[in-house]
This record gives sequence, C-alpha cells and structure tokens, in this order.
Amino acid sequence: MAGSEVAAIRFVETTKHYGEVVGLERLTLDVGGGEIVGLLGPNGAGKTTAIRTLLGLLKPTAGRAEIFGIDAWQHPVDAHRKLAYIPGEFHVWPQLTGGQILDLLGTVSGGYDPAFRDELIERFNFDPSKRGRSYSKGNRQKIAVIAALMTRAPLLVMDEPSSGLDPLMTATFQDCLREAKAAGQTIFLSSHILSEVEAVCDRVAVLRQGLLVEHGTLAELRHLHVNTVEATYLGAPPDLDGVPGVEDVQVRDGRIRLHVTGSTDPLLKALARAEVVSIQMREPTLEELFHAYYDETSHAADTAA
Amino acid sequence: MATQLSPRRPTSGAADTPSVVVTTRSPAGAWWRAYRHHLRLLRNTAIAWTVALAGLGAGVVATFEDRLPTEAARAAAAATEGVPAFEALLGRFVRPDSLEGFVLSRWTGVFAIVVAVWGMLAATKLLRGAEEAGHTEPLRAGVLSPHGLLGAAVAAMLTWFALFAVAVGATHSAAGMDAATAWALGSAMGLLATTIAAVGTLVSQVAATRRRATQLVGTVLGVLLAVRVLAAATTTPDWVWWATPFGWIGFLHEIDEARTAVFTGFAVLVVLLFAAAFVVGRRDLHAGIVGGTEPAAARARPVGGQLGLTARTTGASMAGWAGVLAAAAFVFSALTDDFVAVFVDMDAEAAAIYEQMGYVALDTHEGYVAIVLGFFFVVGVALFSAVQAAAIREEEASWRIEHLLARPVGRVRWLVTRTLAAAIGVVVLGVVVGVVVWAATALGGATLAFSDALLAGVNLMPAALLFLGLGILVFGLAPRLTAPLTFGLVIATYLLDFVGPLLELPDGLLDVSPFRHLAAVPASDLDVIAALIMLAIGTLAALAGGAAFRYRDLKEA
Repeated sequence: MAGSEVAAIRFVETTKHYGEVVGLERLTLDVGGGEIVGLLGPNGAGKTTAIRTLLGLLKPTAGRAEIFGIDAWQHPVDAHRKLAYIPGEFHVWPQLTGGQILDLLGTVSGGYDPAFRDELIERFNFDPSKRGRSYSKGNRQKIAVIAALMTRAPLLVMDEPSSGLDPLMTATFQDCLREAKAAGQTIFLSSHILSEVEAVCDRVAVLRQGLLVEHGTLAELRHLHVNTVEATYLGAPPDLDGVPGVEDVQVRDGRIRLHVTGSTDPLLKALARAEVVSIQMREPTLEELFHAYYDETSHAADTAA
Repeated sequence: MATQLSPRRPTSGAADTPSVVVTTRSPAGAWWRAYRHHLRLLRNTAIAWTVALAGLGAGVVATFEDRLPTEAARAAAAATEGVPAFEALLGRFVRPDSLEGFVLSRWTGVFAIVVAVWGMLAATKLLRGAEEAGHTEPLRAGVLSPHGLLGAAVAAMLTWFALFAVAVGATHSAAGMDAATAWALGSAMGLLATTIAAVGTLVSQVAATRRRATQLVGTVLGVLLAVRVLAAATTTPDWVWWATPFGWIGFLHEIDEARTAVFTGFAVLVVLLFAAAFVVGRRDLHAGIVGGTEPAAARARPVGGQLGLTARTTGASMAGWAGVLAAAAFVFSALTDDFVAVFVDMDAEAAAIYEQMGYVALDTHEGYVAIVLGFFFVVGVALFSAVQAAAIREEEASWRIEHLLARPVGRVRWLVTRTLAAAIGVVVLGVVVGVVVWAATALGGATLAFSDALLAGVNLMPAALLFLGLGILVFGLAPRLTAPLTFGLVIATYLLDFVGPLLELPDGLLDVSPFRHLAAVPASDLDVIAALIMLAIGTLAALAGGAAFRYRDLKEA
C-alpha cells in the first residue's frame, strides 16, 4: 500500500474490554484498497469483536478503527457509506419477504444494482417470495450475502460469511469474492473455515485471545514456517551439517527426511553436492499452520500454568 | 504494521480424539431437572406478582373500615350493586358495603385481569418462547419425551400458582377477612391463573410463534371479558356470568353450593384444556398450525427505507391496539345511561366520598366517561407505549438492528424514527378512543360534546408519552431491562394509583404515579400543566435515553 493512500480499513491500537474480559487488545492492522484479508482465529478469539468495533457497533475501550480514514465510532454514518456487511448469522424481519428485506437493505445502503441483485438471486438459487420467518439458516444467510454484494460497495466486511451455506453455494460465494476482487473491491472477512481463507485471501491475520499474533501474506507465513523435505540419493548421504534452517534430519536406506525453516536455497545447494535422485518439498497448508500455531501456544500456556 | 512472524512447526493437523463422556440419564432425573429449569424461568415474575397482589389485596382488607366509615358511605357503596356499568368495570359483585364484598369487587375488577395476563405470559413463555429461543431442543434431544417436557412446564406453572393462592389466602385472612372467603378467593385466583395458563398451553401447541400464541390467548381473554360485560349489560339471570371464568369469581362469597360450582368449573376446564394440550402437544419442534408456514408473497410491495419499515411494524401494532380499544370504548360507552341513572339522586355525603376517591360528577355522562377512561383506557394506552419500547429493544436484542446500523443509518436517527412512530401511535389511539366514545354515546342517545370526548382522548396521551420516554431512557441505559422495567413501571404506578389511596399511603408516594395527576376529563378540565410536565419529563427522558444509546455498545439478548 502506498504511503499516501488511505487504507480501506485501519485498526489503530484498537482495544475492547468487556469488564475484566479482553475482547480485543491493541489491534493494529491495515487493509489496503483491493486486498482480500482474512481474519483467522478460533471461537472467542476476538474476530467478531474486531468487526463490530470496526463497524462502530461496539465502542473501543482504547484506540480507534477507521474505514477509508473515517473514525467508525465517531462518524459511523459517513464511515458506512462505502461499505457493505455480511454478518455471520442473519436475523430476519419475520413479517417481510426475502425480496422486501433485500430492497430494504439496498435502500438504506444508498442504492443497489437491481439487475445484479436478480443475477445473484439466480446464482444463489434463492426464492425471494417467502416470508422471513420461513427461511432456513442457509437461506437467511443468502439474503445477507446478496444484500451486501448487490450494492457493489467498495468495501465488503464479512463475519464468517459462508456460515450455513452448503458446499455448492460456498463455491458460488467464493466465485463472487474473486469477481469482487477483480472489480477492485476490498474484502475483509473473518472465518474459521481455513480452506475458504486459503482459497480467496491475499493476506491473513491470526487472532488469539484478542491479540493479533501473526499476519502477512500466505507466502510469508509459509516461508517463515517449517517445510518438510524428502529426498532419495545414491552413495553417501548429503552433508547437511551447518546448513541454515535445517533440523530433524532422518537418514535411512538411501532416503533423507528433514524440516527446513526460512529460505530453502542453502539446503538445495547442499543437496546438489550429493547424488540426489529425487526430491519432494511440501509447504504446510494453512490448516497445518493454524494447528501448528495453536498447538504450540496451547502447549506453552499449559507449561506456563 | 506491527508484524510478529515466527517459525512454526507443522503438525498433522489431527486434533486429539476427545474422550466420550457417558452419563446415565434417567427420564425421572431429566424430568426433575426440566421442572426446576422451568421453575427458575418463572421465578422472578412469580415472586413479584405474588408479593404485589397479595400485599395490595391484604392492604385493601386492612383499610376497609377507613374507606367506608359511615352509614351513608356504605349505603352509597351498596347502591352500586347490580348496576350494569359498575359490573362491566368490576365484574359481578355482591354487597360491596361489606368487607368481603368490597375486597372481592377489587379482585374481580383489576386484579383478576392482572392474574389472567400473568397466566397467559407464563404459559406462552414456557411452552413457545423457550422453544423459539432454542432452549427446548437440547432438552428434547435427551431422554425426556415431548409430553414429559410439557408436563414439567405445566407442573412448574402449577407450583407458582399454588404458592400464589396460598399467599393470597394467608395474607387476606391474617388481615382480617373471613378465613373461608379469603382461602376461597386465593384458590379461585390461583385457578384463574391456571385456567388462562391452560388456554396458553393449548394455544402454544397450535400457534407457531410466541407472538402469535400471545395474540390468540389475548383474544380469548378479550372475549371472556366481553362476555362479562355482556353479562353485566343484560338483565338475564345469572347463567350468563357462568359463561366466563371472570364471572365465576363473583359467586365466591355466596353459599357453599355456588363456591363448589366455581371450583368444579375451574377444575373441569383446567383438566380439559391441559388434556387437549397434551393431545396436540405431540408435534414437530417449531411446528404449529397457526402462523407457521407462510404463503408465498410474490407481489409483496417494497418496504422502502427505514421509515417504511418503521411505519409497517409500528403501524401493524397500532392498528391492533386501536381496534381493541375502539371496541372496548364502544361497549363501555353504550352503558352510559345505566350508570348515570344510579347517581342522579345521590346525596351530598356519598358524592363527597366518591369525589374523594377521584370520581366526580357521577350523575353526568361526562363523569361516567371520565371513570371508564381513567379506569381502563389510560393504562391501556400506557401499555401500548411499553409495548413499543419493548419492540425497540427487541430490534437490538434480535440483532436485526445490526443490518441497519452497519449501513449509513445513524443510531440517533433510527431511535428518533422509532420513538416518533410510537408517539404518533399514542396520539392516534387517544383520538380513536375519543371519537368512538363520542359516537357510541351519541348512538345511545346520551349527550356528550365532540370536543369533550376528543379532550378525554387527548387526556390519555400525556401519561403514555411519559412512559414511552421512560422506556427509551431504560433502553439507553440498561437495554436488557427495557421490557420488564417499562411494563413494571406502568403496572406498579397504576396499582399504586388504584389501591394506594385505599391503603392510605402517604401523598408523597402516591404522587409518584403519573395516573394520579390526570384530570377526570371530560368531567373536569384538562390539567394542562400536569400534561405539559409529563410531556417534558418524557421528552427529557427520551433525549437522555437517546444520548446513552448513541454512546453505548449494542447488546444482545
């Protein structure tokens, strides 16, 4: 993001406490225009608190959250003019039809594209003629998704947006996200569906107990995490002593297995000095990174206790 | 950006297999837990109403001698027996100049309605509200059968109603009422609550939502009260009174045979209703016959923006209230001549006693209209305000408000729109009541100026608007208390105004009730100063509530 460009989203030391309970602690994070950023974390990590604070629905205990440079708590109406929001659980007005709810939300958003709404209704296979109370959870979530996307807002904020959608609709939703990104829209979404984040996000931020513990691009996260390398060789085993980042080396019957952290270049050069027949390197999936992080921190917490 | 990146070791990603905890669960144990759970759900309201009603009733017993101190006063009270308009207001009562008759007339009047409403709310809360809130599903997923769960809820209600009956009987006999009559009164009131709760239990199996169930039971209550008015208005024998449980209570202080008939009637009705509820209670979760699946509404008109949404939601509620109040106003106004005829020849001493009680010009049409509106309608319109405040809170509690406030809709604008719509509703209800009173009295041949009738309607507004403002204040400061505190304020101050003078409570306490400051319009002039003060307090309260709402977190249920 260029220095002079106004961030679509900016958390500045944003803190939210519920009495003694920490909801969010000094979160500092920028989301640039056109980015898709995923907010990861287990239940209770502070994802929804972060999003509701961003939307001005919760008052920050300290710090601030900005949308296109506008303080979301002080000036929520102005901050929301370029924003559309998908909550994780959509509570409908029971007496209104799906179509009426879409029209209502489109109108209060400042307008929407009726043709695009109709297209989205078709793509999500949604029946807008039923009363709100008769929709299933998945169909209520479709209302939220369509209502947000049909506005073509520059910024889409989503709190576990595909919650309740079936796999087909989830795929359709992810297609819509990619189209929105291609159209230059910024997307900030929280999720604990890692495959979804992995499929669509440019950057990922990880929350734990209200704290931002990691963030960066997926490549950065993978780069700084441990890769698993397996190779077969003829003759003497490769000499990997002193190769930076290499550990857990296991050698047996012409096969070598190891973990490498950071750049793999020194390792590849060291392997090239031996008669290596084949080599396989596997990056961790986001799910593995996620589990690794939480397993490690949980273990650390247990040890400290 | 403050990035803290550190190497992490990959794992298989497989979580540890959770240990499976198997517990032995017996149906009896599950039933007992469900029963205690339902007891807890009703505990606060049950204790509040039991203490309030038993205490107020006992206070009426204790101060009876002071209320009717002279022969003339007792003669004036005795003259009201059998007067249709009085019976329409208070139900059937006999010998109101005696302690037992006087106390029973208070119970058959307002207290019985409060007890019935309590029964209705308790039943719809346990039998449909808990299901809507998702509390029933885990219980049904266990070893408890649908009928077992229904039985636990019914048993919890019966427990509280029985304790209420005991409290009424004990406090009234201790205060000096004939013990047999006191215990009969307590039992009958407990049974009345049980009967209406049984209606609520049955209806909750049929209606798909608590809202719809409450509407249906409310309609049943309205019909039962209308039958009471019909019984009061007709000169037919007593059997018409037996067509409604609200009429049965009027026979309590009579001969043993009548009491036996009352209790037999209650018992049979309760058993039949609960049996019917158990028969239809074997149904799908969240299912119902009424108000469940909705027909497609492909031609539904767009709602528009927030204003349209507010107009639609508030308008529907207002139309319902206007219909009920208009119907009631018509019925009561049609009895004007009967009422006035009783007081035409009233002596000065009796008139003075009634005036002391706040009833002026009883021998005029204006006096009767003032009593009727002050007795029922002013609290009715105030309750509409409480309903609106609760509806505003419900938008937040259900988190539907999030859809609007996450868009370019300001909190203050949203709240102002909702509050103004509710205030307009109050004004419309006042005007509707005034116009209907005028039309009904005119059709009945009585003379009541249109401007007087309209002013009587206007007189219903200040207290209601005050309660609306107070409701918004509670919403701003303590949103989760909006409904209980606003409804509690309306009912507590109404009871304070209604029973407080009988208990000879200090004026400083009685003055807390807004109802006390309303003039008996149209028998008296509109108290403009009091009305303006109430409006000012209500407005300030609403503004403070709005400011508090602007600067607080949204809070879920």
